[in-house]
Parts: sequence; structure tokens; C-alpha cells
Amino acid sequence: MITININEKEIRLDKPVTVLEAARTAGIKIPTLCAHELLEAYGGCRLCVVEVERMLKLQTACTLIAADGMVIRTKSEAISNARRSILEFLLINHPLDCPVCDKAGECELQDLVNKYGATAGRFKEEKRKVPESHEDRIFTRNMERCVLCTRCVRMCNDVQGASAINIVGRGGRSRMEPFSPTSFNCEYCGNCLTVCPVGAILSRPHLHSLRPWQIDKEVETICPYCGVGCSFVVQVRDESIKRVIPRFGFGLNNGLLCSRGRFGYEVTGSQERIKVPLVRIDGKLHQSTWDYALNLIADKLKDIRDTHGGSAIAGIASPRCTNEDNYVFQKFMRMACKTNNIDSISRIGFASAQRYFEDLLGQGITANIILGLKNSDIILVLGGDPTAVNPILGLSIRAAARNGTKIAVIGNAKGLERFKTLRIVPDIFKEAEVLEYLLTEIFRAKGLRGEKPALDRKIEGLSGKSLKIDIAGLAELKDVLLSGGSVSIVLGMDVVHRSRGHRILFAVAGITYLLEARLYLLSESSNEQGLIDMGCVPDMLPGGRPLVVGDFKKRFETVWKGTIPEKGGLTLMEIIEATKDKKIKVLYVMGENPVFNLPNTSYVKEALKSLDFLVVQDIFLTETAELADVVLPASGWSEKDGTYTNLERRIQLLRKAVNTPSSADDWRTISEISSKMGYEMHYPRAEDIMEEIATVSPLYKDLTYDEIEKGNCLWPYNGEPLRGVVSEIPAAEETFREYKEGLYLAPEKILFHSGTLSRRALALRKICPEPTLKIGTNHAEKLGLKEGDNVSVSTAQGSINVQVSIDTAIKDNKVLLGNNFEGRGVFSLLNYEIDPITKVPGIEGCEVTIEKI
Amino acid sequence: MFKETILKEIDDIKARYPDPKSALLPTLYIAQREFGWLSHEAMHVVAQSLNLPEAMVRGTASFYTMFKHKPMGRHLIQLCTNVSCMILGAERLVDFLKNRYSLEPNITTTDRRFSLVIMECIGACDRGPAMLVNTDFHDSLTEERIEEILEKYK
Amino acid sequence: MCHSRKSGNPEKRNWIPHQVRNDRQKIIMEKILLKNIENPDSADINEYINVGGYKNLSKAFEYQPKDVIEEVKKSGLRGRGGAGFPTGMKWSFADADPKFPKYLVCNADEGEPGTFKDRPILEKNPHLLIEGLIISGYAIRAEYGYIYLRGEYPYAKEVLNRAIRQAYEKNYLGDNVLGKNIKFHLAVYQGAGAYICGEETALIESLEGKKGQPRIKPPFPVNVGAWGMPTIVNNVETLSNVPYIIEAGAVAYSQIGSKDCPGPKLYCISGCVEKPGVYELPMGISLRNIIYTHAGGIKDGKKLKAVIPGGISTSVLPADKIDCPMDFVSMPKHGSMLGSGAVIVMDESVCMVKVTYRALKFFEHESCGKCVPCREGTEWLRKILERIEQGMGREGDIELLSDVSETISGRTFCPLGDGAAGVVIGMLKHFRHEFEEHIKNAKCIFS
Ligand SMILES: Cc1cc2nc3c(=O)[nH]c(=O)nc-3n(C[C@H](O)[C@H](O)[C@H](O)COP(=O)(O)O)c2cc1C
Ligand code: SF4
Ligand code: FES
Repeated sequence: MITININEKEIRLDKPVTVLEAARTAGIKIPTLCAHELLEAYGGCRLCVVEVERMLKLQTACTLIAADGMVIRTKSEAISNARRSILEFLLINHPLDCPVCDKAGECELQDLVNKYGATAGRFKEEKRKVPESHEDRIFTRNMERCVLCTRCVRMCNDVQGASAINIVGRGGRSRMEPFSPTSFNCEYCGNCLTVCPVGAILSRPHLHSLRPWQIDKEVETICPYCGVGCSFVVQVRDESIKRVIPRFGFGLNNGLLCSRGRFGYEVTGSQERIKVPLVRIDGKLHQSTWDYALNLIADKLKDIRDTHGGSAIAGIASPRCTNEDNYVFQKFMRMACKTNNIDSISRIGFASAQRYFEDLLGQGITANIILGLKNSDIILVLGGDPTAVNPILGLSIRAAARNGTKIAVIGNAKGLERFKTLRIVPDIFKEAEVLEYLLTEIFRAKGLRGEKPALDRKIEGLSGKSLKIDIAGLAELKDVLLSGGSVSIVLGMDVVHRSRGHRILFAVAGITYLLEARLYLLSESSNEQGLIDMGCVPDMLPGGRPLVVGDFKKRFETVWKGTIPEKGGLTLMEIIEATKDKKIKVLYVMGENPVFNLPNTSYVKEALKSLDFLVVQDIFLTETAELADVVLPASGWSEKDGTYTNLERRIQLLRKAVNTPSSADDWRTISEISSKMGYEMHYPRAEDIMEEIATVSPLYKDLTYDEIEKGNCLWPYNGEPLRGVVSEIPAAEETFREYKEGLYLAPEKILFHSGTLSRRALALRKICPEPTLKIGTNHAEKLGLKEGDNVSVSTAQGSINVQVSIDTAIKDNKVLLGNNFEGRGVFSLLNYEIDPITKVPGIEGCEVTIEKI
Repeated sequence: MFKETILKEIDDIKARYPDPKSALLPTLYIAQREFGWLSHEAMHVVAQSLNLPEAMVRGTASFYTMFKHKPMGRHLIQLCTNVSCMILGAERLVDFLKNRYSLEPNITTTDRRFSLVIMECIGACDRGPAMLVNTDFHDSLTEERIEEILEKYK
Repeated sequence: MCHSRKSGNPEKRNWIPHQVRNDRQKIIMEKILLKNIENPDSADINEYINVGGYKNLSKAFEYQPKDVIEEVKKSGLRGRGGAGFPTGMKWSFADADPKFPKYLVCNADEGEPGTFKDRPILEKNPHLLIEGLIISGYAIRAEYGYIYLRGEYPYAKEVLNRAIRQAYEKNYLGDNVLGKNIKFHLAVYQGAGAYICGEETALIESLEGKKGQPRIKPPFPVNVGAWGMPTIVNNVETLSNVPYIIEAGAVAYSQIGSKDCPGPKLYCISGCVEKPGVYELPMGISLRNIIYTHAGGIKDGKKLKAVIPGGISTSVLPADKIDCPMDFVSMPKHGSMLGSGAVIVMDESVCMVKVTYRALKFFEHESCGKCVPCREGTEWLRKILERIEQGMGREGDIELLSDVSETISGRTFCPLGDGAAGVVIGMLKHFRHEFEEHIKNAKCIFS
């Protein structure tokens, strides 16, 4: 125990912290400039000086570690003089252009000078001149305003790990610059903006757009983009979001944001929003009224249900909608439409993977705290780049790497290039072999755990096979995994959407089991976990309760007052295929764009065209909506209250920030249709839906918005994981495919985009305006391609034109293309084959030809 | 990327230190030797060969005055004008270089023969004024001696 | 009385009484640090061995490492890099830290303007330094040593690299030094033009391949130094004293020089003297003695005006204050510091405003930019001084100079900024009238 005394106040500390921190905890304010709670102490600005008894000079509170018995004073004549002179020094080269500076009003320098500075300066010489820079797409730089606190550089290097900016020059000639003097060419997280105390770095999208005192309201909410669910604050003026700012000391991102979270908020404010219901008449969509549209839908659904049965109806839910939306949606499908044909885009990855792992290892196996990644000794990353899919989770991996955690990467993970300890690149689409090899080696070294007989049996069976693989670094990887430290496995979906993805999943499950590892699934959309929890899957009721267990079903039926259809439903691609076969006649799509987001888009389009009736509920007229018979406007992320459940199963509150008269909550629309169909649903507020969820779902038992607000609700909340493991692990016949020398197309997850939404965010489009085909250096050379070349990329499915971008991190014969730009999504070029076990559409193995144009 | 032989040279340097990052300054010297100066391309190559962020390479390189960020003449004159040399008349020599060779601090002559950099102390104070031409020390400088010495650098 | 004699008896030679007088007696001292450097091949290992070199290495290996540290402690050796910290004590701090590996770093950055004392060792007596490094490495149980050499010494780099190669060949360096199962490796790291890299934590940063910006202390390098490990940083001259301490023993060593700061010292004299150069003389010799007796007095019969006694960062002393003993303990009492022992002598024709201006230009140029008072303050001071020197001084400038330097003083992150402020403060203290005249006459009064 350390006892110190600050300004006559006794402060007890249980560990040695800086005097600044000690003062902060005691509520004593010491002015600072270079210090920041997310950054290591620096000691450059010298503003935080304090007097310490028995020390000759003034000491900087931010660097001085409190020692027992220290007597400190934070106010005195000498201290005031020192602060005043520091501020004078800071102003001598400052342009004093506050009237035209965006930062005015929230500028730390301005505030400090106001409070501690002198009224007049004595510097009469010429100021340093540094030209402003507006060349970058997103950031402006005004190095005359810069106080060289280096917070931005430390943020970029030590926290974000992008290391895209640095101080160039020395002494008074120092200035912050990215490598290229014109473009930042970075991850555009904007965390440098957050920490800049002055107006030296500003974001162009916000330039001269508002003053901090013009904000009408600030709403604490969460990010709509990925499965991490970062907390932040949106600033609203005139019912439109003007800016997203971080929220320190809260949420698992603790003030950090990624490019999507910070700059992607414009989506809901887009001019292209659907404002009124559209109804197809004579082959064309026409504006209509809510009454007419809803009646039309209700009648049609009722008709089909009554004539063909519920099995002719299917629904696609959305991992971007709230828990409340999805809960109501599946209840509507099951109770009003009498079908279990409910699935979502998550089938392509997250939902399937999670289901597989839970079947083998038990429910909740992927419920691991993101921040806990830092405590691992070894992190194994495969199936994607966490820093692009779930950027803030990626930061945890980088932070772990800095602390000495070993990072092992299988395949490509560009954002971890400088952080990895080792990386192996399996032959094209041969991850399963590599993982099975690792699993058997781990089994040989450690033996079985004996807790899960089915798994044990299968692992033993596998080890009988002789596995010979010769890949650089594999032996080392095995040794690292067996070195005895705690292991975390971060699994991206690139290895899940495979036609034999279950082999990979099995191996990962086995390794997780034998090493007692923690498993993390990367999650692309904001509510993939919640979607599953709400029962938007064909064979599970909310809370992961299997439909086939009669007791469960009965309980829901009591609360829901009706009967749930017996038969399990179809999965996503099965729904599409059944549509094509005309077995499904009506499809209800809530907040999803299957025509763009599913492989073999032309096939999907054909299938949807053969429907009797297609309903799409969305905020934009998507490629799918264009085919619909009725399109209903929905509400976007910033327009509604509700909850999201993130990939670590944290339930978080989404708050309505703006009022958009034309928006309509998905759950409200659906309840109305349901009621019209005779199955009454009435929820005054989103909160009331959660109240019902909390009574029926064992995982969300007793949960309330008030509790969620505190930020620490992880399920099982007041309940327990319920589902046990399977006693038999299904296997499919092995089909081997030989891959030739050619190039194969794979989808890329782009940091700046997440699909249909982000393409409407202007700032994000500025950062990444065009789709690019990523290709490794070797193959680019072979094909004679240079950065920026225009090429046509063709597969059996079709062909599109894009630009080439050479990616030094790609070491195998894959080429990558994102699925973010209209008309040029990668899924239009991919075909699929359904994995017999997981029902995932496997999309690997599409050979491409690339021609320069 | 660097040639194989240079990559080998860098590997040897890396091996001397517990952290290969220490090889940054030596590698910048190598890049300067190979490229003549530290262009963006040169720094990019350094960053690649050490797996370091480019901005960090540039930031570090720009901290040290002996790394050159623009093309230099064939011969680099580094003239000390710090106090001891100044007392002994170094400033006159700066004027002389300007008048005689049109050579000014941080400037390269149009024929690219010389570049001049003003140095802080180069440790030859007892025989100042002093200068380095490339890596050769010359001291006790006078106008005549400078002329004589520079004759040797074509 | 100050007498010294040349004597073959290591117990007795080279001593001067501890009460140093300010007389003019020439001290003829047997060279310890600059031994044999008149020999044109002095840098060759064989020449070094011929004059008894590397003998002390085997002798040191007969001691336990701890005993070597004890011996150095007893000798009273203080660091020659400028701060004068007791070397043995520093070593024992690193020794007490249980972390391994430990590193030994030789500070050969010699950036302090006016300083060129390490250069003769580096260029002409490199094996003395290497022997010193190996013994010191043995003492603190470091297996790797690095010589951080300033980029401005390209010739020294060649010499050192050759010397290291030779030492490896003779098995003084390597995995099994002298077959004693002692490991010590040595490499030269070349700086690239940054004075601040002489500061030990900045040096370590630079050695790690980063910008040379000072680190927060504590933790001190003895605990958390290079690559996070206990690290000893010692000056070239400091380490070069170590073989002799082993040879003569701590007691004999401590007889040389002054009581609190024993040993030989390299003084480098530049500026307006007849015989500038590096002189190896006992610690504590008076400034007057150095200038008049050894360096031949003021050039061209001019009058002495001022002396900067320890490199440009130390406060100037006017002509009448030069009777002070040049050592770490006495100099502060006389209003300046021993620093690196770089004596810059200025005669009556030298303009003190110009010297101050040039010094501040140096500090401005070398400020690493990390802390506000140094970065902004040195620039401001330079700008005012430049104006005054050019005849554009204003009323109030002197007060402003004094105020700005006082504001910098004691508030910077590292001593560089303090040094810069100290220069102005010292100059204003002793030569204020020159500044006043510059302003009054609106021109430099010396040109
Ligand atoms: C700004 C600054 C510059 C310095 N430059 C040098 C230098 O060039 N050479 C040196 O040996 N020590 C220099 N020092 C002192 C070192 O920090 C350190 O005290 C010294 O290397 C320790 O070695 P010693 O104990 O053997 O003297 C400098 C210190 C400061 C603050
Ligand atoms: S005093 Fe400050 S700015 Fe100056 S060199 Fe030291 S740390 Fe850098
Ligand atoms: S001052 Fe010129 S070499 Fe030292």
C-alpha cells in the first residue's frame, strides 16, 4: 500500500501509478497536453508540473511514479509560472487562427490558455511556416496548429498499430506526416483525430460542417457495422447525424473506432432511402400506401399458407436488424405463416460454424471475451484478417503481440503482417489437411481429454490416417501450439464457406478441445449472434432450443399462444433452390439483399423471379428489392431502439438518435401484417419485445434494458447454457478436388466496407472508391500486371472489370475481390456447392482468368 | 528490393543485435550508399527489407542529419562552423565557398560536383576550421587550402 | 605544491597532491590513455601488445567479476562523459539487477562542441578501449558490447572495425575469450548526426534503431536499458581507464589527480591558444595551468577574455575566473562544470554575442523536439540573439533573453535544454555589457 499526499489530501494506492493518475482518481485535476489515457506516458509538454517535497525541480506528474510518503502540491506560484510559460512557448509558433479552426470550442490548447495562459505574448519574431495539406481523401493536416504532443503518432503506432504516420524532422522542424506526404494511405481509423488536442488533424468530411456548440443532442449508441459492437456517441443536429465521436472508459472499444464506425454513419441519412411502400403493378414498382401494401401482403401470405401450407413460405432474416426485429420476424414466420423456413445470410459462415462447434463442444463455446485475447500466450488466426473483419478485435490481437503473445497465422492476414510470429501458407484450399495434421500431432503429444466421447472417438479415428504434409513453418507451428501456453483461436469465415468446410471445423473443434483453447468466431455483421439467439434458424427456437425437443416447443407454444410447425425448415441455399423448384412460392426478406450477397447471383436472381410473391423490407432499393412485388421502407440503425448481441455475446443497446418520418421499425411492420393475418402481435415499444424475450429465452432470462445499459450483459444472463453435445458426429463422404496451377477467386473482406450499407457512406467511398482485384506479387509479375491496371476477371459465372492492386501479403494463387460495389461484387462470379453437414454454400475453387484491358 | 548480396549484408547486421530493428540505421546507410540519397523508393525498400512500417523508417531517417533526403553531388563537403571553428574563421570559408564555387549550405552545385552541408562540431576543434569531404578529414583550413583540397575531388 | 615526476614505479608515478594549486608548473605525466600514440602504428594490435596491452585482461579474469567492480569503485573513477557519475557504483546497480542478458555500451558519440578527446583513443589507441570494454563487460557480466560511434568519425569506424577484427582473431573477443569460457562480443554502431544521441537513453533508443529521443527516467538504463535489459553506458575515456586500474590497482590509481576525482583526464583545448590539442593531465589541474602552461598561452599575444571550460553546454568563465581546479567536484563551486573537459579559449577579439548566438543555433538544431521548452525556447532564443548580433536588438531583449532562458531552465525533459539555457544565463551574467552595447550601437561591436 502506497500512501501519498496531494494538496493536503491523503491518497492510498494499491499499486504504484503515476502522480497524474493518482490525482485523477482523487478528483484532483492537473492540466496535461501530451498525456492521454489510452497512451503511454510521454513527458513532452511539461504542462503537468507539480511540486514534490524534497525534490529540487518541478516534476512532471505524468511521468512521476507515486512513491510512498510523497508530498505533492499541484498549485503554487512556481507551478503557475511554469504552466504559463509553457503555454507561451506553445503559442509562439501557433497561427492563432481559432476563428476559422474547426477545433475551436473543443480545443484543448484553447481551453488551457484560457485557464492558465498569459493574456499577451512576447514573441515578436516570425512564426514557422508549414503549408496546410488537403491532398488526402479524408484527413487534413495543419502543422502550424500542431503542438507536437505526438499523441497521434503514439496512437497510430502503439495502439492502432497502423504506424502510418510519424514525426518527420527534428526539433522545431518536426512535423507529423504520413509516409507519402500527400496521402495517409492508412487504415483510416481516425483514432489520431480523436487524440489530437488541437485542430492539426481534421477530417475532411466534417470540415467547416459544424461547431461543437451547435450540436442538438448526443446519443450513446453502438456501431451498426460489425459483430464487435463498439460503443460511441453520435452527435445530432437538425435530425441528422453530424459526427460520431468515441466514448472513453466504456464499451470494449474504450474510445477506439475503426473507419466504418467513425465515417460510415451517413448511411441512414442517404437521399436514396425508400420513403413509401412500393407495389408492383404491371411489372413496375409504384408508390403505394402502407394500408394497401400491408393488406396485400397479409392476404397473399394467408392465401398461400391456406392453399399450399406453410412450407410454401420462407423468410430471410437479417444480421443487421435488432434482436427485437428478428425475434418478431421468426415468431411471425412460425406462428402466422406456419413455417420454419427461416434462415439468414449468416448461414454462409457464422451461424453454421457456431452451430457446428456448439454441437460438438457445447453451447457457449464461442462465448469468449474479446479483451481476454490479450491474456493468451498464443493466438492462432485462420480464415481471414481479423483487423479487417472485426477491426477492434484485431487491435486486441495486435496489443497481445506487443505484449509478447505469439501470433500464428494460417493463410493471409494482411493486417497482422508486422505482428505475427509465424505464418504458414497452405497449398490452395488445403487448410483442412494442415489442420488435421496439427490435430493428430496434438493428439499424439497430449492424448485425449476424455470428456466428450464422440469427439474423442472421431479424433482417434482421424489419427489413423497417415498425413504427410510439407509446408514451411508447419513444424514450428506445431511446437508453438504444444508449448503449453494458453491458446486462443480466431476463426474467420473464409475457411467455413467451403464445400467440405465441416472438415476444417472439425479439426478446429478438435484442436480447441485438446488444447482447451478459447475460440473466437469473426462476425461480419452487427447482430449475427443475436440473430441466432432469436431463433432465426430453421431448427432452433429462441435461446438455441432445438425444435425437435417437444418440451421446449410446448413452452413456447404456451407463451406464443398457438402451434409451432413440427417440421424443421430449410436452410438458406435450400430455400433458394426450393424457390427455383417452385416449392416455395412466397419469400419474405427482411433487411437482406440475397441477389447480391449470395453466390451465383444470376441463379439466385432467376430463383427469386420464379416466386409467386416476394416481399422485401429494406431501407434502400437493393438489387433484391428491385425484384419484389412489395417493397416496404424500414428503419435504419440510427432510427430505432433495440439491442444487438455481439460476437462475444454481449447484449448492447442501440438507441434511436434521429427521427426520420418515413422510417418504420421492422418489428412494427411485421406485427401489423401478422395481426392482419389473424395472429395478433402488439408491442408498444421495442423494450416490450425484450421483456417477452426475457421470459421465453433461457439465455436472456430476466434481462432488461436498464441492465443492458450498464454495458456488462453477457449471456447466459441469469440462465445457463442449455444445449449439450451430440453423441454422433456426422461425416460426409470425402470428395477430393484437385486444384490446378491456375488462379482461384476468393471473397475479400474490406476494412472500409461491409457490403450493401457502406457503399452509401460517402466518406467510406472516398477512402475506397473502387473495387480492386488483389493479387500476389508473383502472379502479377507472371501476368505482366501493374498496380492500377484495368483487367477483366472472368469465371464460368461471368465477368467483370476492375482495377488491379498488388498485395505483397498474398503468397498463394488466390486472387481476392470484395463484395461491396454495385454490379461488381465477387459473388456474381462465384458458384457454390452446399456442404452436406453444415449446409454452408461452399464457394471456393472458382478458377478465374484475368485479362488486361 | 535490394540485391541478394545486400540482403545478405543486412542479415549479417541483424544478427548482431537482439532485435533486428536495430539494423535500421545501418540499413539506411546502406540504402544511402546504394541509392545516393534516401528517396521515397529507397526508404520503401528499407522498410520492406526489415519488415518495418514505411512511416517509421522515414520518421527515423529524418531525425538524423547525416541521412540525405535529396540527391547529393558527387562530393559531399561537411564544413564545421561551430564555436571553435567559428572563432578560427569558419564563417569566412562559407562565404568563400559561395563566391568561389557557388556552393551554398544545403545546395548542390549545378554540375553536381559538390554539395555543402554545415556541420555542428566534427571533433577537429584543435585544428579548426575543419571539414569532411566525403569521409576524409581536412583541417586547419584557409581559403587557399580549401582550393587546393577541392582540386582533388573532381 | 604541485609536483609530478616521471617514474617507473607504478605505485608512485603520476600523482599530484589533492590540494591543487593554481600555479604554472608543467606537469609531465606518463601517458596512460594516450600511451604510444606517437607510434604511427599504435592502432595495430601487435603494437598495443608490445607495450603491454591485453595483459590486464588476463589479470582481470583472475578476479571475480564482483571484485573487478569493487576495484573500480575503490579507484574512485568517475564517468568522463560529462556527468561524472562514479563508475563502480553504476556498475554495481546493473550487477544487482537480476535480469539477464546485460549489455555494455560505449558512448563514443562525442558530440559536445569543442570536444575531441575520445577521438585520439578511437583512432590511435582502439585496443585500449577494447581491452577496457572486455574487462568492464566481464565485471558486469555482459556478453555483448556495442560502441555507439558518431557518424562524423568515419575514420574511427574503420580503425575500430579493424581493431575488433584483430581482437577476434587473437581470441580477445568471441565465445571463449582467452580460453576462459568467457563470452564477449563487440560491434560498432554508427550514429548519423544527432548530438542528443550522446545522452545515454537517447543513445539506447538510437541503438535500437529508433530516433534518438531521451527516455523517461526512472527506470534508469542500469535496470531497463537497451532492449529492456540492464545496460551500462560509459564514455570511451571512462572505459579506457579500466585496464590501468587493473594494472596499477585502485589505490595507486586513486593517487592520481584530485581526491574526489582521481585519475588522468583528457583535456581538449581549442580556440585562441598557441598549442591547441588533447592533453592528458591529472584531474584537478587548474584551468590556468592548462591554458598557459600546456597550451602555450593565448595566440598572437592577445588578451584572454573568456573560457568555456567543459564543452559548449557549460557556463562561460571570464578571464579572471580561471584559477579553478578542473574536476567534477570543484568546477560547480566555481560557477561552471567540467563537462567533457573541452576548453574553448576566447581572446579579446571574440564577440560573445556571436558565440552565444552560434551556441544557440547549435542547440536549436540539435533539440530533439520532444519537449516544449527546449524545442520552442531554443528557437526563440536563437531568433533574439540573431537579431541582436545583426544589429536589430530591441530594448527589453536582454530581459527577454534572461526570462526565456530562466523559463527553460529546470523544466526540460533532458539536460540538453538546460545546457542551452545555461549558456545564455552564463553569458548574460559575465558579458551583459556586450549585449547591451550591441543593442545600443545597433551592430556587432566586433566586426
Ligand atoms: C545532451 C547530452 C549529450 C551528451 N553527450 C555525450 C557524449 O557525446 N559522449 C558521452 O560520453 N557522454 C555524453 N553525455 C553523457 C551521457 O548521458 C552519459 O552520462 C555518459 O555516457 C555516461 O558515461 P560515463 O559515466 O562514462 O561518463 C551526454 C549527455 C547529455 C545530456
Ligand atoms: S531538452 Fe527536450 S527537446 Fe531538448 S533534447 Fe532534451 S528532450 Fe529533446
Ligand atoms: S568546433 Fe569545429 S570541429 Fe569542433
